[in-house]
Amino acid sequence: MYKLKVIRQLESGDNNFSLSFPRRRESRDFKAVDSPVKPGNDNFWLVLLHGKNTLLACLFLSFFLFTGCANKTGTDNIIRLPMQTDIKGFDPAYAEDLYSHTAMAQIYETLLQYAYLERPYKVEPLLADGMPEISKNGLTYTFKIKKGVIFQDDKCFPGSKGRELTADDFVYSFKRIADMNTRSTGWWVFDGRIEGLNEFREKTKDSPKTDYTIDVAGLKAVDKYTLRFKLTKPHPQFLYTLTMMYTAVVANEAVETYGQEFLNHPVGTGPYKLTKWTRNSRIIFDKNPTFRQEFYPVTGETTDKTNGLLVDTGKQIPFIDRIVYIVYLEEQPLWLNFLKGNIDRSGIPKDSYSSAINASKELMPELQEKGIKLWKVPMLDVTYTGFNMEDPVLGKNLKLRQAICLAHDINKVIDLFYNGRAIPAQGPIPPGLDGYDPEFKNPYQSFDLEKAKQLLDQAGYPEGKGLPALAFEASGSGTIDRQWAELFKKEMEAVNIKVNVNYNTWPEFLDKLNKKKGQIYGLAWGADYPDAENFLQLFYGPNAANGQNNTNYKNPEFDRLYEKISTMPPSGERTKIYKQMVKIVTSDCPWIFGAHRMSFALSQQWVKNYKPNDVATNLLKYYRIDTQERAKMLKERF
Amino acid sequence: MFSELSKRLKKDKIARISLAIIILYFAVALFTQAGLLLPDFDKVNYTESYQPPSASHICGTDYLGRDVFSRILHGTRVAISVGIVSSFIAIPIGVLLGCISGFFGGKIDEFVVWLYTTLDSVPGLLLIMALSLVLGRGLYAVYLALGLTTWVSLCRLIRSEFIKHREREYVLAAKALGAGSLRQIFIHILPNVFHIVIINFSLRFVYAIQSEVILSYLGLGAQDMPSWGIMINDAKVELARGVWWQLTGATGAMFLLILAFNIFGDFLRDTLDPKLRGVE
Repeated sequence: MYKLKVIRQLESGDNNFSLSFPRRRESRDFKAVDSPVKPGNDNFWLVLLHGKNTLLACLFLSFFLFTGCANKTGTDNIIRLPMQTDIKGFDPAYAEDLYSHTAMAQIYETLLQYAYLERPYKVEPLLADGMPEISKNGLTYTFKIKKGVIFQDDKCFPGSKGRELTADDFVYSFKRIADMNTRSTGWWVFDGRIEGLNEFREKTKDSPKTDYTIDVAGLKAVDKYTLRFKLTKPHPQFLYTLTMMYTAVVANEAVETYGQEFLNHPVGTGPYKLTKWTRNSRIIFDKNPTFRQEFYPVTGETTDKTNGLLVDTGKQIPFIDRIVYIVYLEEQPLWLNFLKGNIDRSGIPKDSYSSAINASKELMPELQEKGIKLWKVPMLDVTYTGFNMEDPVLGKNLKLRQAICLAHDINKVIDLFYNGRAIPAQGPIPPGLDGYDPEFKNPYQSFDLEKAKQLLDQAGYPEGKGLPALAFEASGSGTIDRQWAELFKKEMEAVNIKVNVNYNTWPEFLDKLNKKKGQIYGLAWGADYPDAENFLQLFYGPNAANGQNNTNYKNPEFDRLYEKISTMPPSGERTKIYKQMVKIVTSDCPWIFGAHRMSFALSQQWVKNYKPNDVATNLLKYYRIDTQERAKMLKERF
Repeated sequence: MFSELSKRLKKDKIARISLAIIILYFAVALFTQAGLLLPDFDKVNYTESYQPPSASHICGTDYLGRDVFSRILHGTRVAISVGIVSSFIAIPIGVLLGCISGFFGGKIDEFVVWLYTTLDSVPGLLLIMALSLVLGRGLYAVYLALGLTTWVSLCRLIRSEFIKHREREYVLAAKALGAGSLRQIFIHILPNVFHIVIINFSLRFVYAIQSEVILSYLGLGAQDMPSWGIMINDAKVELARGVWWQLTGATGAMFLLILAFNIFGDFLRDTLDPKLRGVE
């Protein structure tokens, strides 16, 4: 479950979020995000996003930058990026926060990855040789593994020469996550999913040394290059799991040789290898000389060509020789270094927001002058104000709900609470996912007082007469919660609907949702994985109350379609059903649809092939530094 | 007592000004409560949000385009009401417990001392927050929470005065003449220590206003009505935008009232406490 407060910490936060929106670093205020996280939760993006929310501010900074501090002329082929917190180490079994995840993604690889340029987000093979064969019943996944992939050279191998990757390595790596002796934080990814793996885990419980030869029925290396999973039940989102760092492949020699020290000695198959890691200072990666041949993607979105993202098409990656992550615990030195051209990518610290972005949400001229680019990255989320559909007043009265929707002006909210960094949501599916239709306009997403009054009249409450006061449940009592509720109250007053606001703590709020108390709630939803199904399940009847369907919406037609798509692999037909489902929901108005938020990121002009990405972390291999341009720009403009 | 008071008041200009300010605030509170003054304080005008101070909006406007000045005046109502209502809860408790424990001593005294020592050992604001969480959010909870927690110092003072006075000749004389305990307490001793109540009232009034602002700032106080605490809370997000007028207005209003109360409270103490009065 990944519920979010509608308005997150703009109060101190809205800064450097590139990937995440208004998030603040102190975890207290993340109660919204923190509390619903339970071990064994099957939303695998949760932990990652959870990390993002708490830390993303940093990530943003950390993940997207380049710099040149060591070299004054800027001619070296090095990218310098900020990291706002130190990482925990390089063991994929503990890849629970975004920073560690990001650092590991340069070294370790998974079976699948997100296609770099394609939107909506889509998975493509990484170590797998082609997409898997999936059996008709959706239970058996057969992967072919790329031939000739070798682990980086390391002392743990005989003769210090890296050996070839085989299917057995995956079996070993996955068992290692299940092994209780590993104490991996990623077990929930597999928990109850793979046949026989839970039993394997039970067996590891009491033995100090795990026997990795124990067979697991659902996890088999059929031959050297073939890997077969058997799932306990169909799980179309299984493929997304296989992009997570927890499922990265490790070499058993390295784990055994280094033991406790494994987290300081990563041995992977990826484009980079770890050269130096000084805690709380910097992490340096160098190109892995034995990295296989991999190429820059050929296809992308239509706009990619004009944005110069297809210049390097078909060229061998990675382009950059060395990655330097510099740990900045404070924002100010990071920001100043970025402005001096020492760092190649950054977010916008909150105290610098007004000096970096002007009133029309564009970059200030002095930053434009330096060639700095501003990226507005839509986040995979949606905010909403939900009606309790089991409430006797609201649930049965469609016209009343429509009237309320029309009396609410989302643009005002975006302006007042998001600094304009959001777009009005027409439906539940955010841009960037299959099923998002840019043409679709929700008829009740416009602000129209006259029509609202008419509908209220038709709803049986002319001029609001006879309508009891509605209860709006706010999910906190912070400044923004209060202002938000106050705005809603005032808007409803304009059409003579009386609203009483109840301020709750986050746990109180969740409790009310689960007990179906209250009438109107303000909430948001962030994607667990890049599939619109994750948003549509918010309306699935059986998910009501204790599930994610907080509005207790129920529509047999919708439920039927949802059951149909929940086991369907991605296809044009599925996308069509998604759109149909959006139409059903929007005409029933169980929500006042809010906004899809956006985060702002900055990059230096000489960073090429940069495309913001809300889901993947192994992107540095695609970046290229135009060293000539950097040298020239640094000399002339900085 | 009161003739002495007005005599001194004539001499002390600053105390006079302070009293005038306090009366002005009370008047504002009264008129806003009655709806006679600036009844449009809650009027929303989205097109005018965050207007800086100007002739039409002396203190600018807030995020919904409401006039900050009228909201400050209406905030006075909340602040003054908290001061008055919580005093009417706290003072009777403090006086009553102080009287009986000081007068009777023994087990009753031990119990009262135990009660207020326990209450006093919990940091005041935390106790108030805990109580207002239990009682639910809103102004009534603030009245109650403040009333039920702030009687301790008054009780302690009254108790010690009673211990002194109960052995004095005039009390012994009353007793010898056959006056009962209640008569001794309320007719004989209490009038002689009542100046403490008046002084204490003016001082705790300040504390009550501060607490209301803090609680409202924390979201536990006034809901859905203008309060200085809420305005300062708003300013938390607005300052980054350069919106300073709401913070300045609310704190300015609070500052003036508290300063006036403190000066006037000092003046009362100097006047009413014979030990501090001196000779002129």
